[in-house]
Amino acid sequence: MKNAESKRRAAPSFLAPPRRARRDAAGLGAISAARARLLIYGGMCVLLIPFVFPTWWMVTSSIKPASDIFAFPPQLLPTHTDWSTYAQVFKLQPFGQQYWNSAYIAALVTVGTMAVSSLAGYAFARVRFPGANALFMVVLLGLLIPAEVTIVPLFQLFRRLGMVNTHWPLILIPIFGAPSVFATFVMRQFFIALPVELEEAARVDGLGRFTIFRKIALPLARPALASVAIFTFLHSWNLYLEPIVFLSSAHMFTLPQALTHFTDAYGGPLWNVQLAAATLTALPVLIVFVVAQKQFVEGLAHTGLK
Amino acid sequence: MAEVLLSNVRKSYGRTDVIHGIDLTIRDGDFVALVGPSGCGKSTLLRMVAGLEAITHGDISIGGRVVTDLDPKERDIAMVFQNYALYPHMTVAANMGFSLEHRGGSKTQVAERVRWAAGILGLEQLLERYPRQLSGGQRQRVAMGRAIVRDPQVFLFDEPLSNLDAKLRIVMRGEIKTLHQKLKTTTIYVTHDQVEAMTMADTVVVLNAGRVEQAGPPLELYDHPANQFVAGFIGSPSMNFIAGTITADGFSTSAGAVLPLPESENRLPHGPAIYGVRPEHLALSTDSGIPAQVLLVEPTGSETQVTVQLGGTRLVCMLRERAALTPGSTVQLQPRVDSVHLFDAASGKRLGA
Repeated sequence: MKNAESKRRAAPSFLAPPRRARRDAAGLGAISAARARLLIYGGMCVLLIPFVFPTWWMVTSSIKPASDIFAFPPQLLPTHTDWSTYAQVFKLQPFGQQYWNSAYIAALVTVGTMAVSSLAGYAFARVRFPGANALFMVVLLGLLIPAEVTIVPLFQLFRRLGMVNTHWPLILIPIFGAPSVFATFVMRQFFIALPVELEEAARVDGLGRFTIFRKIALPLARPALASVAIFTFLHSWNLYLEPIVFLSSAHMFTLPQALTHFTDAYGGPLWNVQLAAATLTALPVLIVFVVAQKQFVEGLAHTGLK
Repeated sequence: MAEVLLSNVRKSYGRTDVIHGIDLTIRDGDFVALVGPSGCGKSTLLRMVAGLEAITHGDISIGGRVVTDLDPKERDIAMVFQNYALYPHMTVAANMGFSLEHRGGSKTQVAERVRWAAGILGLEQLLERYPRQLSGGQRQRVAMGRAIVRDPQVFLFDEPLSNLDAKLRIVMRGEIKTLHQKLKTTTIYVTHDQVEAMTMADTVVVLNAGRVEQAGPPLELYDHPANQFVAGFIGSPSMNFIAGTITADGFSTSAGAVLPLPESENRLPHGPAIYGVRPEHLALSTDSGIPAQVLLVEPTGSETQVTVQLGGTRLVCMLRERAALTPGSTVQLQPRVDSVHLFDAASGKRLGA
């Protein structure tokens, strides 16, 4: 009896250690979680360097005097700033015209690719015709052929059509070439995932094939179309090989091609001016990506590319 | 409203026949349920009526007009799909009015019809919402609203309640039946749930492997199943079947028990047969009957389901009274003789009346 009583009295002190232990464990847990988070963020910061540093170097070097760009040790922050490089960009080249060239070509290519890829993607996903899968494989094979292989025959073709030193090759090649094939693949994957019942309901509601595409499938494909638009625009904006093959006059140049023409009298690059032009070239792309980042990632997730 | 006629309708995918020549008449204003196990062809048959699936052979006519080669839009039908198929990018009102708008209805007319349908289905407060903002039951109602707004000749429902939970399914079952009573539009309703078919339909069509096993009013199918398949499919819990032989003394089971036969069946030829008795037609007694061992007792409150073993066969009894039975105990089975069904052992066809 005495024993039992003493056990009861001892109970609270007997229970106390586990409670404290739980509290300690919770405290330790919080500390280890914070450490883990710190490690993850630290790791991410390190991984960020190869992505952020080139942009940082481009922007800061564009306002450095040329001598400071190659100074050793390298200057991460410019000690002297020279904004005249930006004025030089417009003096040395018809940069405004070249900016417009790139912008309107990219816009036309984007709209054209969206139209072609959504129609082709829908047809490959929904219209049953003999050899559809084989044809789709043939279309996909187009992705495996490097641009360098087709550029000479394409040049011959456009020369015969009288389109050399015009913007037509830069518009038509991406719309009916590899970028459009990739976009068609993305759109096809999206349309395949769209419930067939929606289209059947539309058929019962009285819609024909094209109206179903226009009124049901296309509005629902907005996320996929957004990602197609972004990567097509980027591809066209950054296009380099085709412009240097097809264009020869400065006023016809697009931006990536124009960047290589900021040189001194001996053909050496004017680094700070060139980097200022590069900054101006990258700016709209950065803005578009920052603004449409969510849509872009969602689009990729929808299309099963993520 | 219209009569729907199916004459010798067949469907094949390559060499595989999935619908084997179905003849069916659905009267004007009837509520017909197509019921059967998965893969029996009930949804295919509905889709053939809708025009979403091509017919290999035969004819379908709606309201006296042959529609076999017509597009769905030309058949004057409306369909409610299993997953509702509401357009995600349109509001409830736009979903409901879409078809009318596409067919050239004026904005006022469309809005009026949408308001009318919304009033019937209690959707007035939801008209500006998007499908993603609705619950399962609300989506189901919108899908029905989209169907009724056009006032079609025939409603087609393809397992519309299978995505809802059990409670909501019962509520929506009532709503669909009420809607049919209000509108009197010819309705074809596909379900795999025989309770749904029994409770809702004027006529139940039982399908199996692409063939009609039996068609008729629900209680006729329940009381006079044409074959063992229908007898087993209609009713929950399903009918008990005991294999044995018809003899001069009655029905002898393989375990040696002799079950009573109705007097009307005395003229049946002696030989192997299947004895069918529904769970509610099997009484338990402690003094007289055929001895069987209790395996399981499942009280549901209103009734008690008792599973017993008779020879090698498990039988289910549904008792209205609360029975104090324990598993392992022996009870005496008393089949209600006038409710016994007999089927041919080889073909499964009903024997006698």
